[in-house]
Amino acid sequence: MTIQTEPSARADEAPDAASTPRRLGRLSWLLIQTGTVLLAGGVWWFASTLFPPSTLPPPAEVIARLGELAITGGFWVAIAITLGTFALGLAICIVVGIPLGLAIGANPIGAGSTRLLFDFLRTIPPIAILPLLLLVFGAKFEMVLVLAVSGAIWPILIQSIYAARQGEALLAEMSRSYRIPRAWYIRHIFVPGAIPFVMTGVRLGTTICLLLTVSGELLGGAPGVGFEIANAQAFYDNTRMYAYVLVAAVLGLIVNGGFWAAQRRLLRWHPSVRREQHS
Amino acid sequence: MSAVRRTGLIIALEIWLPVLLVAIWWFASESVNSVYFPSLRKIMTAFVENWLDPMSLLDNLGPSLQVILVGYGTALLVGIVAGTLLGLVTPLERAVRPIVEAARAVPGVALLPLFIVLFGIDQEMRILLVAYGAAWPVLLNTLDGVRAVEPVLLDVGRVFRVGRVRRLFRVILPSAGPQIFAGARISLAITLIIMVVAETVGASGGVGYFLMTAKSEFRISDMWSAIVALGLLGYLLNILFRIAERYVLRWHRLQQSRLGGAS
Repeated sequence: MTIQTEPSARADEAPDAASTPRRLGRLSWLLIQTGTVLLAGGVWWFASTLFPPSTLPPPAEVIARLGELAITGGFWVAIAITLGTFALGLAICIVVGIPLGLAIGANPIGAGSTRLLFDFLRTIPPIAILPLLLLVFGAKFEMVLVLAVSGAIWPILIQSIYAARQGEALLAEMSRSYRIPRAWYIRHIFVPGAIPFVMTGVRLGTTICLLLTVSGELLGGAPGVGFEIANAQAFYDNTRMYAYVLVAAVLGLIVNGGFWAAQRRLLRWHPSVRREQHS
Repeated sequence: MSAVRRTGLIIALEIWLPVLLVAIWWFASESVNSVYFPSLRKIMTAFVENWLDPMSLLDNLGPSLQVILVGYGTALLVGIVAGTLLGLVTPLERAVRPIVEAARAVPGVALLPLFIVLFGIDQEMRILLVAYGAAWPVLLNTLDGVRAVEPVLLDVGRVFRVGRVRRLFRVILPSAGPQIFAGARISLAITLIIMVVAETVGASGGVGYFLMTAKSEFRISDMWSAIVALGLLGYLLNILFRIAERYVLRWHRLQQSRLGGAS
């Protein structure tokens, strides 16, 4: 008896688990998700009653302060500076890192010569050079930019080197036998084959770039959201500090969302994205 | 003989550029007379003084190692456990997704003032901040890895009536292993960043403290020696990580090579 009932029960379980999200529908999930967010807000509110109000202000107060800040110009300037530094830094990393990485990776001598060097440079915590940058550039946006680039370029560069070496040998040989012109090969076979690997590096670079932008502003005192957090804390204005921490979180969300949208566009043809869209 | 020559050639190929660059640095910094860029010779002297002497090493490195070991260890544990839980219980993951997305998007360093307010300026605060910031990559990669387990493997497990616990430890976690390690590698880099940042406030020892004090007291050679020390620390930690990865995932590499993935 048990031998028969048990497997059948398990077999029922599997399709159930798979279809649950669809059966509940999008709206109900949205409601559940809103519920969890509200629950988290509730936990925050409850925690704020345990701490003195100056240490942990209740969520409503922080949101109200955020609203007050949002009508000041300085608020948007800080956001614009942080996002701008981040975007410029990431753009530099992409423009320099991807072509350089692909070129190095496509050439065995290049890959061998730089392996040890990049392996070492990559592992240096980028924040280590912050004091040096502060001395050379001062607490300015250039300092933050150089810091962000010096950290975010490594994953992009290294994934690009790796990407160039992952190309299907079969495709390369076939192109050679069919005498496909070099430029056409690079444009239509080499680069599309490398992009999925490169995107992994860009995703890591994106996270690190934002982390370093905010760190540079927070520690180095350069203008931006990071500076606003440090500044609020220096004045013991914890409500303002939490408001800016929330801003940093939203920036992170925006940057992440932007990355996924870009990847979906770039990799429309790739199985991983196509599968996602079908399901 | 030819094998020896081949190995020699490979080593020569990998080492010529770093050696050349260090040589250029050595000679260029001797001739350039800049305050911010002392000669490599001076940096090395400062390095020997600050980072090779056992007493000063204990002061300068001890607290940092504590933060790294405890903080990173906690991050790994929490990340793997929470990631596995969310990966296995799909409805739960979907319900808390907005919170996870928001929490992981906060740059860990931005929470430094918050952690100071909540936990005070001490070693525990640093450990907690590192643990918090470094847990996310592990958590998210574990989540992905657990989800991406080959369905056939799970079916086989079911057919052979492998128990839940055994299935978790013998099928699901090993097959998510490579993904988990990829996340752990990112976490290691983040650990070092957050550690340095957290040590710049209210610490009385540690690499970050040394670095920032040397900078504000304008001891440029000492500051450079700390940069070199951090570079070496990062490199050594990465080597240890690679050894651990190779050991834990040795079955994976064996399988790869058996499948003819001799790339």
